Amino acid sequence: MPQKDREVTVNLRHTMAGALFASAALLISSAHAADLIAIITPSHDNPFFKAEADGAEAKAKELGYDVLSLVHDDDANKQSELIDTAIARGAKAIILDNAGADATVAAVKKAKDAGVPSFLIDREINASGVALAQIVSNNYQGAQLGAQKFVKLMGEKGNFVELVGKESDTNAGIRSKGYHDVIDDYPDMKMVSRQSANWSQPEAFSKMESILQANPNIKGVISGNDTMAMGAEAALKAAGRKDVIVVGFDGSNDVRDSIMQGGIKATVLQPAYQGAQLAVEQADAYVKTKTAPKSEKQLMDCVLIDDSNAGKLETFQLKP
Amino acid sequence: MEVSRARGSDSRARLSLKKKNLMRWVSVLATVMAGAPLCSCRFIPTADVQSLAAGPSQEKAFDPDKMVASDWAGKVIPYFEKKAGPFAEVRDLAAKSPEEAGARFGYRPKSGEVPWTLMVKLEGIVVEANTESRAATIGVDTTGKGKADATVQIGPALRGTTIRDALDFVSFNDFTNQIDFARYGKAFNLYVDHEVLEKLPRDALIGRKVAVTGAYSLSSPGETPLVTPVEITLGPKP
Repeated sequence: MPQKDREVTVNLRHTMAGALFASAALLISSAHAADLIAIITPSHDNPFFKAEADGAEAKAKELGYDVLSLVHDDDANKQSELIDTAIARGAKAIILDNAGADATVAAVKKAKDAGVPSFLIDREINASGVALAQIVSNNYQGAQLGAQKFVKLMGEKGNFVELVGKESDTNAGIRSKGYHDVIDDYPDMKMVSRQSANWSQPEAFSKMESILQANPNIKGVISGNDTMAMGAEAALKAAGRKDVIVVGFDGSNDVRDSIMQGGIKATVLQPAYQGAQLAVEQADAYVKTKTAPKSEKQLMDCVLIDDSNAGKLETFQLKP
Repeated sequence: MEVSRARGSDSRARLSLKKKNLMRWVSVLATVMAGAPLCSCRFIPTADVQSLAAGPSQEKAFDPDKMVASDWAGKVIPYFEKKAGPFAEVRDLAAKSPEEAGARFGYRPKSGEVPWTLMVKLEGIVVEANTESRAATIGVDTTGKGKADATVQIGPALRGTTIRDALDFVSFNDFTNQIDFARYGKAFNLYVDHEVLEKLPRDALIGRKVAVTGAYSLSSPGETPLVTPVEITLGPKP
């Protein structure tokens, strides 16, 4: 039973006056406060998540909502607490970039049972019918674009390193699969090291340093996201290895600048801002008219960014 | 997997079979191998564990190769036969109105942001052959002007998930996650390679007549369509 109904029932059980007071209070609150949308994402240290949260917040405010923006820091326990907070604050919907494909299912279900629908962005969960929407970048399509560019830059041969994202995140696996489904078709492309740097820039920096010591003869690095690509690029630069080809994934402004300065060679733009806005639009439609999205799982195609179009990239959007 | 085993006569098919077997085994032997080159496979167990965790109501282990093989002749080919339009008509309509072309000759999911996938039948002369790359293609001139106006993938490596994306009876909702959905898309490419493309010659292609039923994605309008075939017939050497 939705929590609000339960509260009202309890009040009714007490006294008639209490019930009247409760409904009067509800009337007052609905007359004065705007509906609330909670936006929960990983840490904004990564500009991708910041762009997402900003995109969702801008759209929610435009549609007349109050916004509660929170970060779970990829901690599933913290995420669970934040979802409790959103429920307790009476959020009408939750926009969520989640903290783990398996660990999140229970938290989203808890919100659903409390009458608060979740609209997932960027990352999937391993269950359907729990969230109302799962809007994700077409990571497989995007990874194939990135890998095709990488193979071309490598001249279809040579030693390379793969940096993989956080294992609890399906996006780490799907991008790796997209990369390998292309790269493994080229027998002269040799992967000499494959390590997870958990999407983290400093971790990628230190991993890259030690990989480079063990494998000085590398020609390229393909990374599961842009922050790890930035970390790897910095380590390569510090080692005087400007010859190594680095390709990332996300389409951040940092990598855009690096591409334009001749550092990182390419990345793949995920329409993060747009996806977050789409999620809020779908949440709004549900709040106002109880219309659920036509399809729960939704893909958004990615775009390759290299020196030919990097100049048009701004905050995860491609300017016309 | 059974499917490819039955057909593993040629060395290329054997190679991909070996690779697949290895992937299965690595996934069983799990994390010890986590650093090995083929480890896109270590994400497979998640799906297996998931289906176990979900209890007996869940279907048996996900087998995209089997799904593709069992749907191919009865569902996929008839669907293409029904939906595919003459190449010139589809292409010209798409240039004018992608929505109209998509509604008549294509498919795309109702939610999300993905381009239309259009289904076509084309006939012409092979005027280009790029068979150096494993992602080999031929350029087909369908108008008799001597210039390629369609590029057709002939494998063994096929790019994209065009065949999967053309099918209106397939939904991302029916898959545990993007990884399974991607494996399903890749299974179509492997099937087409083994069943349709593998037997094509790789030399003396230029000048031959060719007829193709296939699909292309409207992802980069204005560029020469990149067609993934479901059927292809090559004429004799000129």
